Amino acid sequence: MDQLILATECDVVNEVICAPDDVKELFEFTEVIFSIGPIGVTKTIFLFFLAAFVVVGLLYFGLRKRRMVPSKFGVVIESLLDFVKNDIAKDIIGPEGARYVPYLTAIFLFILVGNLFEVTPLINFPITARMAIPAFLAIVTYVIFVFVGFGRNKFRFLFDTVWPKHVPIGLRWLVGIIELVSIFLLRPFTLAVRLFANMVAGHLMLTLLLGSGVIFLTSFPEIGAKALVGIPWFVLGLAIYLFEIVVSVLQAYIFTLLSAVYIQSSVHFEH
Amino acid sequence: MLEGDIEALKGAIAIIGYGLAAIGPGIGIGIVVGNAITAMARQPEMAGTIRTTMFLGIAFTEALALIGFVLFFIA
Amino acid sequence: MQFLIATILYAEHEESGSNVSLVLPERAELIAGILAFAIVFFFVWKWALPTLNQTLETRQQAVSGQLADAEKAKVEAESLLSDYQAQLADAKSEGNRILEDARATAEQMKTDLLSKAKGEADHIRSKARDDASAEKSRALSDARTQVGDISVDLAGKIVGEVLDPEAHQALIERYLADLESL
Repeated sequence: MDQLILATECDVVNEVICAPDDVKELFEFTEVIFSIGPIGVTKTIFLFFLAAFVVVGLLYFGLRKRRMVPSKFGVVIESLLDFVKNDIAKDIIGPEGARYVPYLTAIFLFILVGNLFEVTPLINFPITARMAIPAFLAIVTYVIFVFVGFGRNKFRFLFDTVWPKHVPIGLRWLVGIIELVSIFLLRPFTLAVRLFANMVAGHLMLTLLLGSGVIFLTSFPEIGAKALVGIPWFVLGLAIYLFEIVVSVLQAYIFTLLSAVYIQSSVHFEH
Repeated sequence: MLEGDIEALKGAIAIIGYGLAAIGPGIGIGIVVGNAITAMARQPEMAGTIRTTMFLGIAFTEALALIGFVLFFIA
Repeated sequence: MQFLIATILYAEHEESGSNVSLVLPERAELIAGILAFAIVFFFVWKWALPTLNQTLETRQQAVSGQLADAEKAKVEAESLLSDYQAQLADAKSEGNRILEDARATAEQMKTDLLSKAKGEADHIRSKARDDASAEKSRALSDARTQVGDISVDLAGKIVGEVLDPEAHQALIERYLADLESL
């Protein structure tokens, strides 16, 4: 159990909470669990593909039967897809949003499942807490909105960003620099970091609190009454657990929403 | 100074730095959500749009705290 | 910009075992992430969304078809109902008419019968009266002839015994006068 959620030794006699010596142990799994040919698959990589197949499986079983009246599960899947299509793509980007629905749906579902791995029993690891996924998805969004921006507005997209004509001439250079940095550097960076940091923080809190709770309570025979320290940790951990379910869904929504907003700012470029 | 002392000092400074980085976004998110609630109470029929905008505002404000959080690990 | 700082810091701290590697994507994981996301993206793009759209389309068509069917059935039912109502009204008026006719016929028959009976009764009564008067006059004339005969007989008997012409004459006279007064 404690190997699963807290991969570290805990000095229950001297400490009051089990903090890992090195945070990396909670996130980096270098051990190869099985190999396909020359490629070694670590736990993280396995979970990446598991998330992908969970998404594919959910969609397949939710949409397989083309019935007049969908089953309860089918309704959930259909309303998720409808939510991305109407509440994100159409509401934010407008009628042209239909082109981006496949991408937005894919990132929403992939991140949602990846985030929910954090609170899934026996997995308990958010794959979005590995920078690879947020960084890659943020770069894809970046590439899309930069390409759309240049494709639709040619080099006006760049010139009007650096030299915004609606700003008074005295401030124009300053606003231009801020906009340039904000659009071309900070946007992809914050997009990736927001998701990544939320999931890292959530996973840290859960492992720290639930792990401490379980370890202290199970070491009751050795340390006696001090084991009661585990109760508040465990209760707090359960509260954070519920909170993290909300955060998981919310961060998937926000990542998708911000991708749509960035694409929209390139589609309807007004400066 | 010993190597371990320097490491400990670095960690302490990183924690203080993260605390400072969290002040601004904390206040900012409070303002965003508070005003969003006022707006929703005034115009309940616009609640959907306001909620979306509120999440956007929170996301932009929160970014600063999260950068601080990441820098805490880097330090 | 922070990204660059992170990279620089990473380069500096690489050997000191800091946590920078936590914030940077690992190459193997990046490749795996790209592949995993590609699976999801192509599945959503090529299968899930077209399937969903198809399902929604057929569902919409079916629903609109059902609506049209329901509309048609409703119109049919309404026309049927009005037909029935018209027929019902017809039948009712027909019944009323028949009843009215029957009543009139009965009335007619009643008055006919009554008048006929009355006529017959009158006829019978007048006939009876005629009969009675005829009988009476016949009885009277009978009586007169019988009285005459009897009186002649009586007279003969009386005459045969008492021959007194004056008395005889007087008697006849008187008798005749009596007869006259009869």
